[in-house]
Amino acid sequence: MKRALFTTAVVLASLQSAWAEEKTLVINSYGGPYEAVQRKVIFEPFEKKYGVKVQVATVYSADMLAQLRAQKAAPQFDVVQFSGGQEIVAAMEELLAPLEASSLPNAANLYPFASEGISKGYGPVALVTVMGLIYNEKTIPQAPKAWKDLWNPAYDGHVVLTDLSNTYGLQSFMMINKISGGSLENWQPGLDQVTKILDGSTVITSTQEMQQNFAQNDAWIAPFAQDYAYVMRKAGLPVKFVQPEEGGSALYITMNAVKGRPNADLAAKLIDFSLSPEVQVELAREMRYSPTNRLAELPADVAGEVVHGEGLQQLIRFDPATVAGIAPKMVADWKRTISH
Amino acid sequence: MDRYPQSVALIAPGVAIMIAAFAVPVAMMLSMGIHGDQGFTFEYILAFVTDPFYLGIGWRTVKLALIISVVCVLVGVPLAYVMARGSRRLRTFLLICVTLPLMTSVVVRTFGWMVILGRNGLIADMLFDLGLVRRNFSLMQTETAIVIGMVQVVLPFMVLTVLGVMQRLDPRLEEAARVMGCTFVGSLRRVVLPGAMPGIVSGFLLVFSLSASYFVTPMLLGGARLPTVAASIYEAATKTLEWNFAAAQSLILLCGLLLLLFTYSLAARKANG
Repeated sequence: MKRALFTTAVVLASLQSAWAEEKTLVINSYGGPYEAVQRKVIFEPFEKKYGVKVQVATVYSADMLAQLRAQKAAPQFDVVQFSGGQEIVAAMEELLAPLEASSLPNAANLYPFASEGISKGYGPVALVTVMGLIYNEKTIPQAPKAWKDLWNPAYDGHVVLTDLSNTYGLQSFMMINKISGGSLENWQPGLDQVTKILDGSTVITSTQEMQQNFAQNDAWIAPFAQDYAYVMRKAGLPVKFVQPEEGGSALYITMNAVKGRPNADLAAKLIDFSLSPEVQVELAREMRYSPTNRLAELPADVAGEVVHGEGLQQLIRFDPATVAGIAPKMVADWKRTISH
Repeated sequence: MDRYPQSVALIAPGVAIMIAAFAVPVAMMLSMGIHGDQGFTFEYILAFVTDPFYLGIGWRTVKLALIISVVCVLVGVPLAYVMARGSRRLRTFLLICVTLPLMTSVVVRTFGWMVILGRNGLIADMLFDLGLVRRNFSLMQTETAIVIGMVQVVLPFMVLTVLGVMQRLDPRLEEAARVMGCTFVGSLRRVVLPGAMPGIVSGFLLVFSLSASYFVTPMLLGGARLPTVAASIYEAATKTLEWNFAAAQSLILLCGLLLLLFTYSLAARKANG
C-alpha cells in the first residue's frame, strides 16, 4: 500500500515537472465577452499552433500598468494589452521590451498609425474603437449626424452623458469641448456647453447604466463607443452607432511585450497572431472593433457598423500623455459643473 | 479576581483578530488623511472643509440621513408597536416581511428601484395615467429616490431595535392607563412612547449612521449629480486615486458620526442620573 502511494507520488511529481516544462505565456485581458472572444480566436488557436499554454488574467489597463511597475524586478506577464494609452508611459519607464519589425510579419500590413509604436519602443495597435454617437433608431425623431446634434433642442430630455470618471465619458467630453471651441489647455467651452444641456440630460457613471437608460429610461442619444452600440444591439435594443461628421475620437488597444521575460520570441508571435487579418475580422464580427490590418476584409453587415479602412486614418486621437496630465483637474471641474 | 486570566485567554483570539484585521488597517488608512509627502499635514482636511463644493456634499449627506431617519421612525415605530402587541403568528409573519429584504443583495434591490422609479417605471406610469405629470417624468436621480431606496434598506434596523424595547414594555401599564381614563392615543403618548424612547433613539442613531455612510444606493439612485460624502470617498479612492483625500473624507465622516454617538451617550447618562 505504502509502495503504491510512493509510486503514485513519483509519477505525479514527474508529470508535474513535465507540465512545467511546457512553455507558458501570461497575458492580461478585460474579462466579459471581450476576454471570451479573445480566448476563442487568439489564445486557444495559438496554444494549438505553437504547443504553448496561454494563461489569461483579467486585469484592466490602469491596474495592469500599476502591476507592471510593482513587478519591475520580476515581471509576471509576457504580453500586456492597454486600452488607455498606458503603453506610452510604460515604454518611458522602460517596462516594455521593444519589438523587432522583422519578428512581426503582419505589422507590414498595418495602417501607419497602428505600427508606428513599434519604432518608439512599444507595441502595435491591434484594435480600435471609435467614440461617436449612439442613438435609438426607433424613437429618435431624426437620426443625428454630428456632435453638435447633442444640443439639438428636439432631443431635450433624452440625452445621456457619461461621467468623466469613465474613460468613454472623458473621451466624449473632450470631443464636446473640441467642437465647442475648447482645447486640451482650456475646457471651459466644453463645460459651458454641457451646462446648457445638463438639465435635459441624464448623467451616468457606469457603462451598464447606458444600456439601462436606453432600455428603460427612454434615452435617444448619447456620445459613446462603437463596440458598445453593438453590445446593446445584441441585447435586443434598436441602437445604432454613427461616426459624427466632425470626426470620431479613437481609442487604441495595443499589444505590448514585457521586458525581462524569458520567452520573448513567443510573445512576439502571440502579438503578431493578434494582428492577423483573420483574427481582426473575427473581433470586428463578434465585438465591432475596427481592424488595423489593411488586409482585413469585413463582411458587408459588419462593415456598415464599424469605422474601417480610410475612415480610420481620419479619427482624432487625444494624446494619452497630455490627457493623463490634465484629467484630474478636468474631472474636478466637471464634478463641480454637474453637481446640483 | 482569579477568573481574570481565563477571561483574557478567552477573548485573546478575538481581540488579536480585531487588532490585526480591523484596528491596524483602519488606523493606517485613516492616518493617510493627515499625512502628505512631507509628513503630518492638515492639507487634505482643509481641502474639504474650506471648499463650498465639498461642504455642500457634506450638508446633503447630513440632510438626507436626517430625512431617512425621521421617515424610518414614522414608519418603523408604529409597525414595531403592532408587532409587539399583535398575536405571535402576526409577529412572526411581520418579522419575516421586515427581514426578508435583508437576504437579498442591496445592489439587486437598488436595481429594482431603478426600474420602478425610472422614466417608464411603475411610479412614473401611474402618475402619468392619473394626469399628474408629464410623459418624461422620472424620480431617478433625485433626492427623493435616494430617500425611498435608503428607507427600504435601513428600515429593518429601526424596526428590530424598537421591537426589542417594545416587547419588554409591560402591556399592563397601558391597560392601567386606559382603566384610569386615558384615551388610546393618550396611552401611546404617555406610556408607550416614553417607555420605548431608548429604543427609538438608538434605532435613530443606527439608521442615521448607516444612511450617512452608505454609498451604493445613493450613487445608483442619485447619480453623479447628487454626490454624498460616502460616494465622494468612493470616487476619490477608486476613480481619481486621490487616496489621501479619500482618507481625509473618511476621517471627517467618522469624526462626525462619533461626535453624534458621544453626545447621545452623554445625554443618556445624564437622563439616567
